[in-house]
Order: sequence, then C-alpha cells, then structure tokens
Amino acid sequence: MYKDFKGNKVYFSTGGINLVNDRETLCFVHGAGQNHYSFTQQIRYFVSQGYNVVAPDFPGHGFSEGNQTTSIEEDMLWLAELLASLKIEKATFIGHSQGCLTILELAEKKPELVRGLVFVAGAMSIPVNDFLIDTSIDNPEKAYDLMVTWGQDSYGSFSISDWPGHNHLAEGNAIMKLNDSSVLTTDLKSCNLYENGKQAASKIKINCLAVLAKFDMMTPLKKGLQMVENIKQCDYKILECGHFLPIEKPKELNALIKNYLNTLK
Amino acid sequence: MSEKYKFDTMSLHSGHVPDKETGSRAVPIYQTTSYVFKDTDEAAALYNMEVGGHLYTRISNPTIATLEQRLASLDGGVSCVACSSGMAAMHLVVTAICSSGDHIVASNKMYGANINLLQHTMTRFGIETTFVNPNNLEEIEKAIMPNTKLVFGEVIGNPGLDVMNVPEVAKICKKKNVPLAIDATFNTPYLMKPITYGANVVIHSLTKWIGGHGIAIGGAIINGGNFDWGNKEKFPTISGSHFALNGISFWEEFGPSALTAKIRAEGMYNFGPSLSPNNAFYILQGIETLSLRMKKHIENTKMMLEFLKENEAVSWLRHPDLQDHPDHKIAKKILPLGSGSIIVFGIKGGRDAGKAFIENVKLSSHLANVGDAKTLLIHPGSTTHSHLSSEAMKMSGLTDDLIRLSVGLEDIEDIKIDFEKGFKAAAKISSKRS
Repeated sequence: MYKDFKGNKVYFSTGGINLVNDRETLCFVHGAGQNHYSFTQQIRYFVSQGYNVVAPDFPGHGFSEGNQTTSIEEDMLWLAELLASLKIEKATFIGHSQGCLTILELAEKKPELVRGLVFVAGAMSIPVNDFLIDTSIDNPEKAYDLMVTWGQDSYGSFSISDWPGHNHLAEGNAIMKLNDSSVLTTDLKSCNLYENGKQAASKIKINCLAVLAKFDMMTPLKKGLQMVENIKQCDYKILECGHFLPIEKPKELNALIKNYLNTLK
Repeated sequence: MSEKYKFDTMSLHSGHVPDKETGSRAVPIYQTTSYVFKDTDEAAALYNMEVGGHLYTRISNPTIATLEQRLASLDGGVSCVACSSGMAAMHLVVTAICSSGDHIVASNKMYGANINLLQHTMTRFGIETTFVNPNNLEEIEKAIMPNTKLVFGEVIGNPGLDVMNVPEVAKICKKKNVPLAIDATFNTPYLMKPITYGANVVIHSLTKWIGGHGIAIGGAIINGGNFDWGNKEKFPTISGSHFALNGISFWEEFGPSALTAKIRAEGMYNFGPSLSPNNAFYILQGIETLSLRMKKHIENTKMMLEFLKENEAVSWLRHPDLQDHPDHKIAKKILPLGSGSIIVFGIKGGRDAGKAFIENVKLSSHLANVGDAKTLLIHPGSTTHSHLSSEAMKMSGLTDDLIRLSVGLEDIEDIKIDFEKGFKAAAKISSKRS
C-alpha cells in the first residue's frame, strides 16, 4: 500500500488488504539493506490470523521514496510518525536484525505505542566491520552477496527451501538490489553508531519474545542472549538456522510469534 | 554460513541434503498426489500461498522442487517452476505475462513449435507477435510497441544455429522496460547463463541435454528476479490484483519471485502442465553429470566439425564455432566453452541424397529429438518443420538438403565410420543425378 508521507511516496505492505479498524496491529520492521520482502512468509500469514499487518519499507528501501534515515533514533521517529499517520495507536513490533535496534529504541522512547515486542535475530548492539561497510560503498552488489552468504545457514548453500523452487541466496540478493544502492552503507553505519540498546533493553517492562539463530554470523547468538538477559521478561527460542531466520525457518518463526501473541490477549 | 559452491558441486547437491528421516542420499521420488495437512491452519496457509510447502502435486511436489531448486541455482535465478515440457514452459510464460491485445517480439529463427504457438495459437487469443531477425538490434527495438509485453528468443536457434546477441538485446529490453525471455535449451547453464547477460526469464526443454538421456520429457522456467513488474498498467497480470488469494498483487507480495508465484498460482493451478515426480528424478540424474556430458559433447562436436569440413559429400557446414558462421563473434563472446553440440550441414545431391544418408547410418539414430547421449540425426524439411510453408522454412534458415546432427557421447571414430556408410549411399544418389 502506498501513502504520501512527509512529502514522499512510501510503501508499507498490509498483505494486500486494507487495514481494519478494530484489529490488533503487528508491525514488521526490516533489517539493514532489506525491505518488506524479508517478511514475505509472515505478512500474509498473520493477516489470515486476523491481525492488521504493517510492514513498511523505510525511506530508500524497496518501494519507498525519500531521504534515508541515518540513525536508529531517526528510524524510530520515522516509524512512530508513520504509524500515527495511519492512526495506529498501539502495535506489537517484530524486528529483524537492525529492526530489533529500532524497536528497542521505540520501546524506550515511545512505550505507549508498544503492546508487544518480538526480536528476531537481534541484539542490543550490532557493530559492523569496516570491511563490509567499505565493500558496501565500493561495490554494493558484492556486499549484498557477502551478507546473503554469511546470513544463511548451510541449507542456503544447497538452495534448500520450504518454498518450492526458491533459491534463497539469489533471492536475497535480488531483494537487496531493489533498494537504492547507498542504502546498505547508511544502514550499516546506523547500526554501528547505535549505543543505547543496553539502556533501552533494561527499561522494557512488558513480556517479550526473542527468536535467535544458532548459526547467526551477523548478530551472533551470544549477543542475542545478552539482550535476553538485559530484558526483565524475555522468553527466547533458538532455531537451527542462520541470520535470515524469517525465510530460513518461516513456519517455526510464525508458530512462535503466534504463541507469543496469544499470551498478550 | 552458506558456501557459494561451483557448478559441478551444485549439479550434484543443490536442492537436496540427505533425508533426515531415512538418511536417503539420493533424492527420494515422492510419488504422491497430495500431502496430509498438520491442521486447518496449515492447510489455509498453503492454499493462500502464505508460507511454502506442498498441497497437491499439480502445483508442487518435493522431488520436483529439488529439481527446480537445482535448476534455479545452476542458472543463477531466484526461483524456478518445472513443468511437463519445454513447450509447456513457453506457454506458461506467455500466458502469465500476456493477455488479449498484448504483443510479443520474437525471433524468426526459432524452433517451429515456438513459432507455431505464437503465430497461430496465441493469435486466436488476441496476442500478436512480430517476428524479427534475432541479431538485427535495430529491427528488434523498432518492433517493440507500447503493448509489447515480452521479447522472446533462443540463445542458439533451432535448427538454424543463429546465436542471439543476448547482452545487446537485453540492453534494448531494459531500456524499453520489456522482459526478455530466452530459450536456453541448446546451451544449458553449463555453456551459458542468460540471466548473467541481462535476460529476465530462462526457458529450458529439460528433455534435451539437461536430462540428457532421451528418457523423460520436461520443461522449466527460471526466473531471474531482475525485472521490475511494478507498472500496473503494463503488467496487470503480475502487479495488478489477482483473481484469487484476496486479490493480492504478486509483485507487491512476492517481489523478485513474482513471476513464478504467478505461474504456480495460475498456470500450474488452472492449466495443470505438471511434471511427473518420476520424470523429475530421471532429469535430476541427468543433471548430476551435466558438466561431464557437455564437455564430451563439445569435444566430439569439434572432431565432427573437422571430419565434416573435409568430407566431399558435404556441400556446406554450419556451426557457430566455425569462423565463417555469421554469428561467430557473438558465439565466441557469450559461449566461450563452445556453442553446443548441434551441427547442421547440407548433403550433396539434395533431398534424395539426404534421405539416402539418413537411411544408411546405423549407430546414429533418425529421430525427432536432440541432446541425447546418443548421436541423433534428422532431416527437418521432411519431419520437424514439414508443417511450415516454404517461405516460413526459409525464414528459419532451412533448406531441403539440411541435415541436423545432434552429436552424442559415443567414441567419435565409430560415428565417423557410420557417417561414411551414409555418405557412400548418398553419393550413389548424387552421381546418378549428375
């Protein structure tokens, strides 16, 4: 769905249907260099489960126009304003990777917006090595390739997928190529700059869920578990896959989110 | 972390790891029509294409999915749909993208059935095609109209062996925002991957070199995931509202894999040209040795070209690797490992001599196929293209004396001896005439 927002055309996926007033809203927040396609196997599933889903493409990502946000704090404000413009007062936020930093920040600064929080392959900080940042500047397509390769468990090597006929390594590349070419660098720098994660995590007062990946090379499991420890009430599950958990283990992730949502009712 | 495996490794492993339940190293043949749902929730999610999985073999099947994932990885595509034949694959692509009132630009040097489909069948449904010389870039660009939804060609034309300048045609298509679909049957991904040269869709007849043993008919569509289908007015079937699935837009929901999502949700669902799981298994066995076979096909082709070049019974010889082939330069650029294992040649004495030749060879089989492990021969004018008018045959670069040879994997010295016998019989006809 497209919307004129802050002088730009922005896109957010609702799973192909209009938002319904009295439904609870789930907001899926994508990671660095990604867009709403990160959640292809979550968005329409949860629409069918009776939720409103909003999965925005941040500025410059996917189908959204506009100047990119350059920090996690800006990401959070942009998201909060987008939801306000859609008259969404409260939502459960599901973040993936960098999206976890955004929803951590949101939970601290705009707690009134937050009904629930699900951290997927997340951590309180996501430092990025200079090599990846430099590669994203000099040769964005090589950086996409590196991220997709590092980001998936060995099943990705064999093009194994529950989705018949899909080759996730190539598809991951194609999804990233839909963004403006400078987007990845800006996102990676935003991740590097963000230092408020620990404080934000410690202030969360609601029950949360973290779904972590055993073979995560982007946000290592150890860092995900540190986040869990810093949140007062955070259940967690570890799945045997890599960083791109929403496409590697969609059914398992959906089941865990569904169970968590039931606890919020 | 995943590894980026090379071609030979992917040919053996993509799409499959040993079965968790049984340990089966080979890809199991899932000979089943349907799949038990865990619960109603899962059933609904599968029907609505919310998550991946199998519900009915007409739509997808685990053995076929292994084949599809292997083909997608070998060709560098984001997704693949395998189907009952190469022609089914072409039909699925055309009907996924085009509707009545739409227009296609296609090579005039293609396989006869491809031409028939576009010239005679699709026109009945209001889809018109302009046929163009595949290497006349100006002609291709001029032929693209506002309602053109697809440009279509073959890397190596059948049977004329013209080589399409895929990179340049892809540039034109990109400029004009029209997807380029390429039939890559004659080259296979071992010799050339059209997606890396800018093509958007690749079609294979799996029956040929990919399967490689003349035992199973099959086809595949590989989606490059590199085309922007976002223009709803131009590509309503992909980016407009679908008649089912709550009216979703495939482009908005599936992005790079929108085309194959559309093909699976409509083409496989409503037309039903499914591949059998057994055939998928046979074709997978072929793929395991694809690079070994293609190397030998190319090696044997080189030796046959030398043999035919020197032979007095041969009046002309055509193969893109020969320097006098009009597309030799393009072939060298995009097919550096070799331009496939089809050779066409003219036999002295014309039509009757051609018949005598074919009827007097023994090892080489006279039949309507190419890309078998065995050497195959045909005289297109009296078989595959006999239904085309003389004019249409000329457009496809055919003559009465043309013999199409699909070079097999035999010891090539035996094939040469076999050919000598055929040439001897042909020479008798030829000398009687003179």
